[in-house]
Amino acid sequence: MMQELIAQVVNGLSLGSIYVLLVTGFNLLLLVAMIIHFSYPQVVVFSMYVSWVVLRLTGDNLLLGVLAGVVSSVVINLLSAPLFQKVMQKRGEVDINATMVLSMGIGMIITDVLSHSFNEGLPVAFPDSLSSNTPIVRLGLISIQTGQVWSLGVGIVAVALFFLLLYRTRPGRAFRAIAEDPNGARLVGIPLLRTGLYSYALTGVLGGIIAVLLAMLLGSATPGLGEQVAHKVLAVSIIAGLGNLVGGLVVGLLLGVLEAIVQGYVSGSWSNAIAFVIMLVVILVRPKGLFGTRL
Amino acid sequence: MLSVRGVSVSYGHIAALTNASLEIPSGEIVVLIGANGAGKTTLLETVLGINTPTAGTILFEGQPVTGVRADRNVRAGLCLVPEGRGVFASMTVLDNLLLGAHHNMRNVSRNLNRVYEWFPVLRDRRDQVARTLSGGERQMLAIGRALMSAPRLIMVDEPSIGLAPIVVNDIFSILTRLNKEGYTILLSEQNANKALRCAHRGYVLETGRVTLSGSAATLLNDPGVKAAYLGA
Repeated sequence: MMQELIAQVVNGLSLGSIYVLLVTGFNLLLLVAMIIHFSYPQVVVFSMYVSWVVLRLTGDNLLLGVLAGVVSSVVINLLSAPLFQKVMQKRGEVDINATMVLSMGIGMIITDVLSHSFNEGLPVAFPDSLSSNTPIVRLGLISIQTGQVWSLGVGIVAVALFFLLLYRTRPGRAFRAIAEDPNGARLVGIPLLRTGLYSYALTGVLGGIIAVLLAMLLGSATPGLGEQVAHKVLAVSIIAGLGNLVGGLVVGLLLGVLEAIVQGYVSGSWSNAIAFVIMLVVILVRPKGLFGTRL
Repeated sequence: MLSVRGVSVSYGHIAALTNASLEIPSGEIVVLIGANGAGKTTLLETVLGINTPTAGTILFEGQPVTGVRADRNVRAGLCLVPEGRGVFASMTVLDNLLLGAHHNMRNVSRNLNRVYEWFPVLRDRRDQVARTLSGGERQMLAIGRALMSAPRLIMVDEPSIGLAPIVVNDIFSILTRLNKEGYTILLSEQNANKALRCAHRGYVLETGRVTLSGSAATLLNDPGVKAAYLGA
């Protein structure tokens, strides 16, 4: 019984680490580029598809597949950056609501492209060499698989590197300055647009890593996956407190574990509904999120 | 060092600055006197490159910088110590100083040591977040941060605002010493008396226009200035 619980928690943490990475990217764009990129997960899923295509074309060359995922995610982010910046300029000042509409548009276009142009809209499966869901530990019905261990391990390393970058490097310092006070940062001579571009690039890299981890963990992708995850990422970031990076870390992991436990002990098909009911209760009690907004 | 020639700035339909002209010679402290809303901050921010003038030109060391972005001007040796200190409260003293060196990371340890010599308290508190500093210490941090960019012209926007009189004296004596070290300083102040006593020359700004200018001594004895800004 105890072992089953541990396996379920590991399961949840590996899923949670993906939520954490997604929320971290979302929050960084919110804080530094000053946009609400609701459809960031769609961009990630698009990169999964690019990775899938490259894997098929190269006879499952893992290195090229991973590279394609990361590069495509960075490219999409950098291509969308001028659009976001244009929308903000046209509105005179930084207008976060207008950016949300643009983000939704990007998300819908991606979902449509995926359902029309790849595999006739059917789920795409990643090769076993990538998703490699061979169980490491098997306990009755529940097993811990290599994909889960990988996503948890890479997730921890990626988050650690991200915080190191944020607190120990020159661009990281500029990110934090803009996050705290964009006008003050401008007065000190931090270029807002260029530093914003760095945040698009960084979340692109992060998105590519997430795409690969999702492929490893799930073994497949569907056109609707991005949208489904996007709701959760937005919910997690609001529950944690918008823009609160540490909060996103905690709540992201909690959501993963919550879903895994509901799946293990109640019902797999109800895990989304139950998770959202609990989040609804939390937001009713703490409207500004568990850890407070940082905007 | 800095020439502002006939510069006008407006926010929408509201004129914030009308045909303002100033000369800031190298090696001097020039003070900009004016009440709230007279356009002091607008003028300084326009020189820095935050606002684009609707008319006029700005020359820094002979080069036109009208409408040049702030980060380029900071790179070129201009900097601003914002009103209300404008330090990043959630960041450490050291991080705040390093932000000032954003475009000047090459000599960062040497510059950091020089700032710590100027303000030993910042060395003692370098790992504290700026939120925990007193008002005077924050002003020192803001000035120290400006020094990290190795500027030739430092613009200081109302340094005395919200500070105790004894701390104001400290800040002005620091500005005087910085000037003796070779920094050119453009200061904006409502506290005209103290500012004029440490400055070489001054400009009086009223509703966006330069209404009076002259040497600091002349302005201190000007009856109009006395009545309006010296409280005498």
